[in-house]
Amino acid sequence: MKILIVEDEKALLQSIANYLEKDGNICETASTYEDALYKIDLYEYDLLVLDINLITGSGLDILKLLKKNKKETATIIISANNSLEDKLKGLDLGADDYLTKPFHLAELNSRIKAVLRRGKFGGTERLEFNEISIDTRSRTAYIKDDVMALTRKEYDLLLFFITNKGRVLSKEIIAEHLWGDHSDMVDNYDFIYVHINNLRKKLTDAGAKYIKTAYGSGYKFMED
Amino acid sequence: MAELTKKIKLLRKTSKTFLWISLVLMVFSTIGLYFYVRNLLQDEVEEELRSTEARIESSISENSIIYQLPPIVEVESVSNLGFEHLKDTLIFDPSQDEIEEFRELITYAKINDQNYRITVRALIVESEDILIAVVISYLIVIFFVFIFLFYLNKSRTQKLWNPFFKNLEQMKLFSLTSETPISLMDSDILEFSELNTEITTLTDKVRSDYKNLKQFTEDVSHELQTPLAIIQAKVDTIINGEALNDIQFEQLSSIQNDIQRLKQLNKKLGLISKIENDQFTNISPCNLNHILKDRIENLSELYPSEIIFESNEDVILLMDAHLAEVLCNNLLSNAIKYNLPNTPIVMVLEKDSLSVRNKGIRAILKPDQLFQRFYKESDEVKSTGLGLAIVKKICDLYGFQPSYRFTNNEHHFTISLPKQ
Repeated sequence: MKILIVEDEKALLQSIANYLEKDGNICETASTYEDALYKIDLYEYDLLVLDINLITGSGLDILKLLKKNKKETATIIISANNSLEDKLKGLDLGADDYLTKPFHLAELNSRIKAVLRRGKFGGTERLEFNEISIDTRSRTAYIKDDVMALTRKEYDLLLFFITNKGRVLSKEIIAEHLWGDHSDMVDNYDFIYVHINNLRKKLTDAGAKYIKTAYGSGYKFMED
Repeated sequence: MAELTKKIKLLRKTSKTFLWISLVLMVFSTIGLYFYVRNLLQDEVEEELRSTEARIESSISENSIIYQLPPIVEVESVSNLGFEHLKDTLIFDPSQDEIEEFRELITYAKINDQNYRITVRALIVESEDILIAVVISYLIVIFFVFIFLFYLNKSRTQKLWNPFFKNLEQMKLFSLTSETPISLMDSDILEFSELNTEITTLTDKVRSDYKNLKQFTEDVSHELQTPLAIIQAKVDTIINGEALNDIQFEQLSSIQNDIQRLKQLNKKLGLISKIENDQFTNISPCNLNHILKDRIENLSELYPSEIIFESNEDVILLMDAHLAEVLCNNLLSNAIKYNLPNTPIVMVLEKDSLSVRNKGIRAILKPDQLFQRFYKESDEVKSTGLGLAIVKKICDLYGFQPSYRFTNNEHHFTISLPKQ
């Protein structure tokens, strides 16, 4: 995938680019409004990660231009502003997702993949990892063609693991993903362990020992 | 502490003062007038008596005619001359056929070697009638003058203080959170005008300070997001880097936890200042049943204990949908955080109240501070201390009444909802 990241904070820009490149994506970066306009005009991208609060202009204007030129580029807005109006405005203008800063790179990665899976960007709604496959439309996971009996949270967890396969995920990252936007319950990791252990047990029972413990308290989804 | 004095209305006070002064003035001036007129009349009578007496004396000396007109004039020959004296006396008046009061002047005179005692009298009734007539007419006039002055004064005062009263009402209506500055009625009275200027300056200052404070909170919470995002991204990068040991990972994981807390703090402070800035204007009918069911369903999957929801009817409130969600969410999160393990949380929604209860060991120590920012009971549970403060803010915004009580080893949080 070819991705353009527009973000005026260079440190953040670089971290995002590094993280996404590990999955084999080609990442280009733009740290100013003008630079972003120039690159969008000149090249084609599959995905745009767009900060809307740029120093010299608004990311929303870049989005408008993109839509005006009828470019088939998926867009994820990253913004320090978590107001509902801004979010709605961004989505109205044709953004595919909206992520409030600060976010975990793993979270951004899973959102990017979710956006790209949607049919209109030529993606497939089927996700595969060895004998495991996930149909994201029906929210069902299969293992060796058998349907796995998963709860909603276990399904979310499995999807999160597979989209961030090979990455170390701390319990904080997982907790934040599972609790979602609306809760400040993230400190209660005990509840999280229950779900991870349940999922791990279901996978192990089917012979798929992919959830590994990393550094004592973290997790990593990978082949042996 | 200063003792509280009894409060009286300005107009009433000035009227009262005026009435008292008028009354005192009326009494004293009437008394003064009474004595003055009486003296005047007495002098007049005395003068008249003396002139009559002089006429009699001269008539005796010239013509030797002795007038007798009792009881007005009596002349007698006496052997010795006495001292002249003037007095009031009661004498029977045959013409009136009753005893009357007379002013009497007795003089002694030696005319043509003959000693005479001349007594001249004048009826007092006449002068007393005049005195009373004068005093009464004075009283009537001054009474009406005072009545007139009283109403004139009252209406003048009312008119004079009108800008003051109008501005007082304006100040009572003044609200810190209002966007519009205070508008005061101008006056041609210098002091009032000065007062207006001072009040306007003061309220403008207070408003701008309040606004700055709110803006500051919002700005800080906004500006912190970016550095936090960078720190978080870097920690995420390090975690996925090479050559970490378990201890380093544990520490990085703990940093992530702290970043998460900062994020929550930031988000909540931002939310509070947005509520204070009245930025939640998307008011629509919100069905609390639906919101609560959704929130409970969402949390039940992660939370191992049971969350019981009891409701008989739909409760629909006119409020911002996002705030309705936040309200329900914070009440639930709070119950989950402080609940004892393996005991159910019970949420009851009725027409006029929403309540949540969960088991606890003991009552909250300072329930009056429970809804204040950063109130923390202990360090056992990691909390921003803002969840209930936000509940309170939302309640204040829509006129709900939050309350807390501890009975049967249960924490009860109840929100009284207004009648729809």
